[in-house]
Amino acid sequence: MDMHDGNELPATAAVVIIGAGISGCSIAREVVKHTPDVVILEKETDVADATTKANNAEVHSGIGEKYGTLKQKLNVRGNLLYDSFVEGLGIPLKRQGLMIVITPRTLPENYTRWLPKRTVAWLLRKVVPRLILRNGRKKGIPGLRALTAEEIFTMEPHVTKNAVAGVFDPTYGLVSPYKLTIALAENCVLNGARVFLSTEVTGIKVQNGKVTGVVTDRGEIAAPIVVNAAGVFADEIAEMAGAGGFKIHPRKGASLLFDRDITADYVRSSVAEFRMFRKGSSKGGGAMPTAEGNLQLGPTAIETDDKHDTSISAEEIQEIFDRFYYLLPDFPRSAMISAFSGIRAPTEDEDFIIGASEAVAGFVNVAGIQSPGLAAAPAIAEMVIGILQGLGVPREERADYDPVRPAPPKFSELSNEERDRLIERDPRYGHVICRCEQITEGEVVDAIHSVIPARTMDAVKRRTRVGMGRCQGGFCGYRAAEILAREWGIPVTEVTKDGDGSWVFAGETKSFEVAEDSAVPGGDES
Amino acid sequence: MKKIRKPDLAVIGAGPAGLAAALAARKAGLKDILLIDRDFELGGILQQCIHDGFGSMVFKEVLTGPQYAQRFIDEIAGTDIEIMLSTMVLDLRADRLITAVNSRDGMVEIQPKSLVLAMGCRERSRHQIMIPGFRPAGVITAGAAQRDINIDGIMPGRKLVILGSGDIGLIMARRFTLEGAQVEGVYELMDHPGGLTRNVVQCLNDFDIPLHLSHTVSFIHGRRRVSGVTVAAVDESLKTIPSTERFVPCDTLCLSVGLIPENELSKHAGVQLDPVTAGPFVDERMETSVEGVFACGNVVNVFDLVDYVTKSAQSAGLGAAEYVMTGRKREGGIRVEPGRNVKYVVPQFISDPSRDVDFYFRVEHPEKAVTARVIAGAEEVTKKKHRMVRPPEMLQSTASGERLTASGEPSKITVEVIGSDEQA
Repeated sequence: MDMHDGNELPATAAVVIIGAGISGCSIAREVVKHTPDVVILEKETDVADATTKANNAEVHSGIGEKYGTLKQKLNVRGNLLYDSFVEGLGIPLKRQGLMIVITPRTLPENYTRWLPKRTVAWLLRKVVPRLILRNGRKKGIPGLRALTAEEIFTMEPHVTKNAVAGVFDPTYGLVSPYKLTIALAENCVLNGARVFLSTEVTGIKVQNGKVTGVVTDRGEIAAPIVVNAAGVFADEIAEMAGAGGFKIHPRKGASLLFDRDITADYVRSSVAEFRMFRKGSSKGGGAMPTAEGNLQLGPTAIETDDKHDTSISAEEIQEIFDRFYYLLPDFPRSAMISAFSGIRAPTEDEDFIIGASEAVAGFVNVAGIQSPGLAAAPAIAEMVIGILQGLGVPREERADYDPVRPAPPKFSELSNEERDRLIERDPRYGHVICRCEQITEGEVVDAIHSVIPARTMDAVKRRTRVGMGRCQGGFCGYRAAEILAREWGIPVTEVTKDGDGSWVFAGETKSFEVAEDSAVPGGDES
Repeated sequence: MKKIRKPDLAVIGAGPAGLAAALAARKAGLKDILLIDRDFELGGILQQCIHDGFGSMVFKEVLTGPQYAQRFIDEIAGTDIEIMLSTMVLDLRADRLITAVNSRDGMVEIQPKSLVLAMGCRERSRHQIMIPGFRPAGVITAGAAQRDINIDGIMPGRKLVILGSGDIGLIMARRFTLEGAQVEGVYELMDHPGGLTRNVVQCLNDFDIPLHLSHTVSFIHGRRRVSGVTVAAVDESLKTIPSTERFVPCDTLCLSVGLIPENELSKHAGVQLDPVTAGPFVDERMETSVEGVFACGNVVNVFDLVDYVTKSAQSAGLGAAEYVMTGRKREGGIRVEPGRNVKYVVPQFISDPSRDVDFYFRVEHPEKAVTARVIAGAEEVTKKKHRMVRPPEMLQSTASGERLTASGEPSKITVEVIGSDEQA
């Protein structure tokens, strides 16, 4: 199937943004408020199709970030901006809060074994919460409050009875990272921007120390401003321009997802155990509800040397289980429906690298964006638009900019009366094709014909949740493929899960050459 | 929304269980019966089971799945049972209020005087058994593959590894082979096959497909499409033995790793579920903990033979008819206990021990030369000798009400499987 939809790249653009993840699309939306002449290039088959899609949906407050770093500042600022950031996009933002739980494990044994038990108890109950509060307030996080053990058990009944105290951070939020990115990209397109998927940047054109355009596997675009928001590949893109000098070292994060029916309200806020003096660059993960209400545990933090390694190992699954058996002793292990893994894109010094290149004028790096990149996205966009305005993007906002991105209807969230009206208008909304998530044919068709059209099974899944439920596509797999094939006018055998090479069906029945010895399986491999 | 429809009986699911329950209720004299299914045709999963082996008990002949279903569909056609196809039930309340949707009527509400739950079961998926690795295209459950091939005429893969030797996995090993695909082997975590012996013989042995017992898939390879799997032997605690790991190239991993009764609606209605069967607690009329709500077939527990599904459904249909027509109320309830080497028994309760009851039960572990017994109080009610019993193969005993109450109403009923020489 043609993933390009026959669209030609434009010869020129005022701004080219490389990478259609949360960072690239947030920046694009700021740019499009000032000029419609923005092009977003993405090598995957969909927006949000790399690191963003495996993000665990948390809008962090910044409490876990090292004081004074760029990512700490942008995180605190981003969290503050979030409500206005999502306004008009039709994407729910939930402020569920974060409960930081202090347990006897909070202070490592080698620090406490020479102390009297009562002193350790006092430290845990009184001193550690104060340290957390002071640390958070210094970073500018509003609304923090200490919790007693009793308050913890009332708020979160499944938390271990070993909990001695805690801190509640009410600003923590949840937002679907891929739905938000899709909505941002769609809002950009509705305001004149253009998004090209399955389009890989292969070179950056630079003349006399100034960027002049990008080279892709489908042609060139001349542009005076290029923003590098290429995630784990940002170092390679920067090298192409001669504006590099940093290295992205991929770090894997795996999370486990549980059946919503069983785990709804299992935790109401995000819950994390506070462990002091621990090595590692991850915040340690937690238990949290997803934007859709499933329980999620994770993520892990494992260094890898492969930017494509989105696998999850038995050891990682075990590590997550071991960690959360302590925090949530009765968590419903058997209700696990999915495990997924994404690649973070940290730099060596673990901070964001955001700024106009000194070596190449017009080239702007937005690199090293790992967690809390989702939370920081509004602030990153705010910072980058300031930089771009310095490079020539108009300062005044367009009079015709429309912040609203109409969201398609979600059958499962409507009242029965609204459902009836929808079905009357289009009977396909009465045809439920995904039983677990109650997704209708009408919604799948909407996704396929949306502003950023869904061309693959995964793209449909991200927009509608088809196949994300407890049966993981066992019931709806073929139905979704059939609708994709019908709407795109292709044979169902050309439908892919996520672009080239990810074929879903091998052919029609009776289409295989049946070998003489077909009754002796194993063939050449056995 | 339209006016709430209030039939005497609504049946959710028109597979073998729903069909038989509706018919049994109709034959018992119940008038206004509504049969609801989400698919576009009656018959449920039987329509994709084009292999034979169905009906040896109920019809005393060997039929394919669609043939077996057609017997009931034809019979239903001769009745005034109302059929609602392509209709998804979205919600169910304890007062039996059903909310459903279809393209023709939009949202519909139905509140029947009695209700039969016959939603069947669904397949366990990859992550429920926690197979590590990548998440490429080409990991499919055996039942979904069966539907792809037999209903939609499309092949989900060319070169397969099958994990799990449940009946569907075994049948699909043969089906894929007959379609010209290569099945490298079937891998089974346990030290015994998960499916019926006849399926091991007819689907694997007859096609020289190797069955690797005490093996599992420990990693799925391939970023876009499955490129292979790592298989490994497992030790006694079912942990993989790393030194035995080997890479098997394939483009598809087909999973037959168990079925789960589909009870999301039952839970919404507050029906109590048995943690062992994952289905509702039922009595001898298949009535659940919620009055007027009955359950049958694989929603109650995963049966091995469709004939048992049909029989359980007939009990449920009769129960529903009796409930509506006589206002029979359930009283008390005698617990049916699983005894030695019995994992579970259905029904779990007996409300009226003076009636004949079919007990369905499974053993915990394989055993040779045994006797299966039903004991009421201290009295042996039935006994049946078996040369060999295995967990996948369901055992059944019919106890007459006369024998069950021979020494008055028993305080408890036990079903046990004992070595033939241990017999009292």
